[in-house]
Amino acid sequence: MLQSLPVSEDMLKVSVIIPTHERPHLLRRAVESARAAGTNVEIIVVDDASTDATEEVCRSLKEIKYVRLERNQGVAAARNIGLLFSTAEFVCFLDDDDQRLRGSLDRQLKALISNQDAGFVCGPVLYADQSGNLTGETMSPPSDPTNAFWDLLEWNFFALPVSVIIRKTSLLRAGLFKGGLDRIDDWDLYVRLAALFPVITVDEPVGIYRLATPFSGQGSSDLAANFLKASKHQKVLFHILKARSAPRSKVRASRRRTLNRFADVLFQKAATSLPDGHYSSACANFVSGLRLSPQRLIRPSIYRTLLNSYVPNGKLRIAIGK
Amino acid sequence: MMLSVSVIIATRNRPHLLVRAVESAWAAGTNVEVVVVDDASLEQTAHVCRALRNITYVRADHHQGLAGARNLGIIASSGDCISFLDDDDVRLPGSLDLQVQALESAPTAGLVYGQALIANQQGLPTGRFYPANCPQGDIFWKLLEWNFIPCPTTLFRKSCLYRVGLLNDTLTAAEDWDLWIRIAELYEILAVEQPVAMWREPTPTSNQYTSRCGEILQLCATLFEERWLRLPRARTAESSKLQNARRLFNDRITDQLIWQLLRELREGRMLYVAKTLSILARLGPLRTSTRMLRYSRLRLLAGTS
Repeated sequence: MLQSLPVSEDMLKVSVIIPTHERPHLLRRAVESARAAGTNVEIIVVDDASTDATEEVCRSLKEIKYVRLERNQGVAAARNIGLLFSTAEFVCFLDDDDQRLRGSLDRQLKALISNQDAGFVCGPVLYADQSGNLTGETMSPPSDPTNAFWDLLEWNFFALPVSVIIRKTSLLRAGLFKGGLDRIDDWDLYVRLAALFPVITVDEPVGIYRLATPFSGQGSSDLAANFLKASKHQKVLFHILKARSAPRSKVRASRRRTLNRFADVLFQKAATSLPDGHYSSACANFVSGLRLSPQRLIRPSIYRTLLNSYVPNGKLRIAIGK
Repeated sequence: MMLSVSVIIATRNRPHLLVRAVESAWAAGTNVEVVVVDDASLEQTAHVCRALRNITYVRADHHQGLAGARNLGIIASSGDCISFLDDDDVRLPGSLDLQVQALESAPTAGLVYGQALIANQQGLPTGRFYPANCPQGDIFWKLLEWNFIPCPTTLFRKSCLYRVGLLNDTLTAAEDWDLWIRIAELYEILAVEQPVAMWREPTPTSNQYTSRCGEILQLCATLFEERWLRLPRARTAESSKLQNARRLFNDRITDQLIWQLLRELREGRMLYVAKTLSILARLGPLRTSTRMLRYSRLRLLAGTS
């Protein structure tokens, strides 16, 4: 069906906005991957007041629009500044440490063009570790995204900057990236978009996402802090008309599911980091999990995971008594 | 080639005022694009906007706040220069052309402002204007002391934003002051010493204003310490200069708060009195008492003469 649509090269024009801050060694890879991902790609690199070699690297890159902010503004503001230079009807925000897969922009654009109502298109993402090797895991959006608003609101699936192309007219109606929401600003935007417009997905993987480790210094390194922030901001998002007009019980259930999910992930993280000896980070995750969802404490499964993580050490075998 | 101007009018549920603002913007310049950002208003505003021909209409379906709405307008605009206009303010005829000429004659300048006529609640001029004199050139330190740039009188190059960033949308007030300071840090500022816009006086009698005033001043004090003094220009300045700036700013804030306090006392709003006192206490009791002494001495002098 998609092939039968007459899609010209002009229609496939997309602006890829890459905010960057002091990662010159990764930036080139992101830019080249974006260039190979589509036939008509306009690349806009927004340098958020880097003080290292980023500027030189950007000057050496051919055929990009380079914007340099003199004062550090944060990633949300840098993305917004990139929009000032975008001339295409569609925009893709790419982080400097992520990569687009070959041809992925074109594939997603065709889907977005064939569905005039949709606000953004999203796709599966491959996970990679710090050195860029694929971990074999894939993060896929639901195959039926009719419930995307609630799914996104509950963190049921992630739309990531690397996997999303947004229609600019929809973006203007939903509003820009908001400041003061470091690391969850993109989530905030996708929820606002999904409240107004249908979301569509493609099946094939579209990008590679660099997974954070607790020590990689990425924005997503500190999971507990992000979850606490997201749980706080979710209350604000519940004021969106679409959520406000839903029955109270639905909103309450949605809130509960989210907090439980956050808590479970944090308990899981705490359990996996215990055997590695990261006691402080395990403790922080456990405490944050409890703050988010205290009643999760009475679920036996969390103790099982915590204990199981100790069993290989042989320390707790006796304590359990079996 | 003359610089083109985008006038950005953020509006929310005030359709009766909007038309006047839009028409004044058109009359103010020859090469003007009017961008109306409708910040999730009810149906009637959209209706009024549809009736206006030749405007760029941006509709935000989620409430953005003033700074967020203006940022949307900036993204949607196509002009070389930006001017903000509120839906209850008015641009004077020919004023934008005048300011564009000023900007064109000084390629290093980033922003040009002017005086604003002060109008009453009915939108009629009161005969007063602000500010009395307009400092020009490198006014970074002056601007740290007090915001003397009336928002509807400004015109700035869009290219300034590429270096300093957009408006800070986390701020609920003083977001314009914050932007002027960031621009003044890097650019020369120009002024035309004549009225270019008409500004509707804030309403000191309305509850909303009284309750927010202390809050806004406190926000400014936080911004001053945590953002403005951390700009590279302030960070690398001599400590005496910094101390001086801090003293001038705090004096201004304290004066405002004392003025506010006296009014609240007169009106008998004891809750607000307590609130204002607590802000004053945080700014420093010593400063408060010296400023109060000065204030009462001035009043005594005024009484004897």
